[in-house]
Amino acid sequence: MVNHIQQDTIPQKATYKVAGLYLELVFPAILKRAEILPSFEPFFIEYDVTEKSICSIELTFQAPLTQNDGGKLLSDLSVVWGENFRFYEGEDYYTTTIWNEFDDGLWKMKSSKDFSHSVIYLVNNGFSINNALSWLVMVAFGQACLLHHTILIHASVIAKSGEGYAFLGKSGTGKSTHSRLWLDHIQGAQLLNDDNPAVRLENDGQVYIYGTPWSGKTSCYKNIKVRLQAFVRLKQSSYNHLAEQRGTAAFVCLLPSCTAIRWNNRLFTAMSNTVEAILHRVIITELGCLPNRDAALLCYHEILKIDKQTVQNSGYQEVTGAN
Amino acid sequence: MKIREDLVLRHVGDDHIIVDPGQDMVDMSKVFTLNDSAAWLWEQLAGQEFTRETMVNLLIERHDLPYKQAEEDINKLVEVLEENGLLDKLANAG
Repeated sequence: MVNHIQQDTIPQKATYKVAGLYLELVFPAILKRAEILPSFEPFFIEYDVTEKSICSIELTFQAPLTQNDGGKLLSDLSVVWGENFRFYEGEDYYTTTIWNEFDDGLWKMKSSKDFSHSVIYLVNNGFSINNALSWLVMVAFGQACLLHHTILIHASVIAKSGEGYAFLGKSGTGKSTHSRLWLDHIQGAQLLNDDNPAVRLENDGQVYIYGTPWSGKTSCYKNIKVRLQAFVRLKQSSYNHLAEQRGTAAFVCLLPSCTAIRWNNRLFTAMSNTVEAILHRVIITELGCLPNRDAALLCYHEILKIDKQTVQNSGYQEVTGAN
Repeated sequence: MKIREDLVLRHVGDDHIIVDPGQDMVDMSKVFTLNDSAAWLWEQLAGQEFTRETMVNLLIERHDLPYKQAEEDINKLVEVLEENGLLDKLANAG
């Protein structure tokens, strides 16, 4: 009996690898890993990891030490949680709270300023634990990864012939719909992620896009990366047309889809640095489109044309440089 | 005066930009574009206290302008920087 209690109180540890970065979770032994975060299973690492995790999160049933320790209210509106969301800044930490209608629980997460360490205070109630929990882990990881040349973006992503195409746009613009059109009409197209992929600038100088444990309403949790070919910002239009974006226009096209908190200069600057580097390596376009087959075909073929020009241009520079 | 230290001049394609993330609850983030001269001046002045005189002299040195014209250009630029809150308000007025 005594043994049993002791086993239950020793916390368990799970390590995940998302976008090539380690995420560590410590949780009460009474919880089952695969049950609390099912969408994370493809990212679970079996072996012992010697490399340091960039984001460690402790889950606890203990109540927060003090109740009103939130600090200054920075935001009270989120796309996913609407008005049930709060984000506070204290002296040494941020506090994120969400009120979950399904379990009538107030979820709370305290994070260090760089989001490398967080504590999530679990609502003592089994319902929809993964819904709120998965989202809070995304908030922490999404900020912590910024210091590692990685950005969680809001996008639906298609992989085709080993290259990624990320569709951007405000909620309701038709990102998922456009991905469906690629799946239906372009041979070999596969859905990589439908809501929150990660984009990473790697040591080889290339930009890759990764599937993650977060994919909105679509169950698509692929632990796969492909080289990112293009960003496509979608705009509803009466006809289909694609325009390449450069310079300021490209930056402004990309920035709203990146998830850095505006109030932390270190994280925001790190994110902007990565965006700046990405702009010079990935095709950025805007697609005015109808929700039809031609929109998908035009988008795909126009991007291939731009890619061909880019390859030719860089080839020319190399030749002249050698002379 | 002094340029705000939290701002970074970025080069994207042929453009020079400054991103100022809004700090209010409603996102009013702004992106400013600078022409080549303004971007060059920004780089010379970043991280230090300076006066209009310093700016005018820098501009003359680079573009070989008459003093009067350089002064006018700088006055316009300072006005734009002030209006958009890109200068450090706590730094000494110069």
